[in-house]
Amino acid sequence: MKKRWIHLMVVLAALAFVAACVCQPQVVKPTEAAKPVPPAEKIVQEEVVAAPKPAEVKETEVKEEAKVEEVSPLEDIFFAFDDYSLTDTAKATLEKNAAWMKNNPNTKVRIEGNCDERGANEYNMALGERRANSGKKYLSKLGVKEEQLATVSYGEEKPFDPGHSEEAWAKNRRDHFVIAK
Amino acid sequence: MKPKRCMHKRLLNIVFLTGIAFILFARAEIAGAKIYIDIYSPSTRKLPIAIAPFKNLGSTPDKENIASQINGIITQDLELSGLFQVIDPKSFIENPRAAGITSDKINWSDWSTVGAEALVKGGFSLDAKSLTMEGRLYDVVQGKFIAGKRYFGKVDDLRLMVHKLVNEIIYQLTGEKSIFETRIAFVSTASGTKEIYLMDVDGESRQRITSHRSICLSPAWSPDGRKLVFTSYKKGNPDLYFKDIFYGNEKVISQERGLNISPAFSPDGKKIALTLSVEDGNSELFLIDLNGNKLERLTTNWGSDVSPTFSPDGAKIAFVSDRAGSPQVYALTIEDKSVKRLTFEGNYNATPEWSPRGDKIAFSRMTGNKFDIYTMDPDGSNIQSLTTLGSNEDPSWSPNGRYLIFSSNREGSKKLYIMLANGSNQRRITSGKGEDTNPVWSPMTGEK
Repeated sequence: MKKRWIHLMVVLAALAFVAACVCQPQVVKPTEAAKPVPPAEKIVQEEVVAAPKPAEVKETEVKEEAKVEEVSPLEDIFFAFDDYSLTDTAKATLEKNAAWMKNNPNTKVRIEGNCDERGANEYNMALGERRANSGKKYLSKLGVKEEQLATVSYGEEKPFDPGHSEEAWAKNRRDHFVIAK
Repeated sequence: MKPKRCMHKRLLNIVFLTGIAFILFARAEIAGAKIYIDIYSPSTRKLPIAIAPFKNLGSTPDKENIASQINGIITQDLELSGLFQVIDPKSFIENPRAAGITSDKINWSDWSTVGAEALVKGGFSLDAKSLTMEGRLYDVVQGKFIAGKRYFGKVDDLRLMVHKLVNEIIYQLTGEKSIFETRIAFVSTASGTKEIYLMDVDGESRQRITSHRSICLSPAWSPDGRKLVFTSYKKGNPDLYFKDIFYGNEKVISQERGLNISPAFSPDGKKIALTLSVEDGNSELFLIDLNGNKLERLTTNWGSDVSPTFSPDGAKIAFVSDRAGSPQVYALTIEDKSVKRLTFEGNYNATPEWSPRGDKIAFSRMTGNKFDIYTMDPDGSNIQSLTTLGSNEDPSWSPNGRYLIFSSNREGSKKLYIMLANGSNQRRITSGKGEDTNPVWSPMTGEK
């Protein structure tokens, strides 16, 4: 027990010493009278060589394409928000489209899945892919040959209506059918 | 009597051990390691700093007004860092003509009177196309020199030199390397179509690096900062491109039917995680090598799985899945493919980005018809909301995990903004034509 008390005294003494050091003010007010000579101020040298600039981009020549959407005998189908299931209206439209495609079995059709601008771009590309495949699956069920159909998702990247209203958004949640050349 | 004696002994033990611990803790203080800015503190006070006009130390006259350019870049960088309050030069007392740049020629009270606790002084000299620039950092409170550096190179590389000096200033005051030599890759419609651009952290040196005249999306940096992967519809399908930034050459490395999207490099730079399409148009995560060969399928689930982001140790991937009915953020352990859901609030959580520090995941949540940026701990807890104005998406971490860059439409068209990891000091970086989206911050470059 006595040993423990001695230990405690030592600890308390050390604590007092530490407290004294820590409590000393950090700020050293320089005196005007005698300016101390500053120790040699070490300046580190560095040669600066910029990394090479990224290569200039080679411009691709682009023919101005007509912005007007080609009139196609195939009609769009539309989807509810964050949904890729087919409404009854969509199914009816697909039946009409299927009839045309079966009458023109040598014409390839590309089904483009689209979303409205809300939501995250990458998730919307996955949603567009689902929508395109939804349309393709139903058309296959109606007897259209698989080889005639291709799909692509544009996510929210190619909106039909650039507006920011409910009406615009509803028009953009669509499968668009394009005669592939 | 026995129980009382035991308690006595226990109490003394506790006091003894506490005392030892306190002494060990206090040793650091005595050693004199002054912490100027404690960047680990949740609400860091901005350090008041003065930047004296840089002096022309050479004989060639300063026709390009290098002095004012240097001062401007330092001020802008220090303000962007969110750590400093830069003292208005109009309040300076010191006569710039008479004063020198070494500490024996500095009158400390001139600077403490205007509120400065730190001071940057420097000079430069010009010689045809070469520039030498010297910067010195002083502790006004203690009246002493902290550090100095002298840079030499081409006049054309002035901005780089000043950014290096700022990085050094911040390193000396915080103990941590800063981000002023890093770059940002992003998507912009400025040229009419979505192309990939590069720029400095302050928005300067903006350069378009693709000309696909189609739709380019989702750039991702390799860990060595020399390559980018991104998705492009150039060939009519969303394919994955691999580009060497400096040589400019590009090649398609993944052109599977369907999607080849949302790429992310593994921290060791050897693999890329991305989303590919499987049967029925479902989207799943895969690992591919740098030639596009499939290495592993990571997810097998009826839901759409997109937007992978690696943890810095490479063991986990956070991603978006709608397997529970709506987009939420999940974490996958690569070794056993086990998946844990991280977000449970809100019904649309997306664009996760794992901080290079490993301590946070940034993501965006859609509420109503707009997005805001949040951070959470890697287990999904401690959710913090960082933005309120406008719609804010696509967060990306700085390589030191202290800043986020993101896209916001708060001023009209989408532009890129930078903020501290706690949401403070939000500043717009880009301007001009088009919509700027998908920013990704490069890895750290340059020496300390």
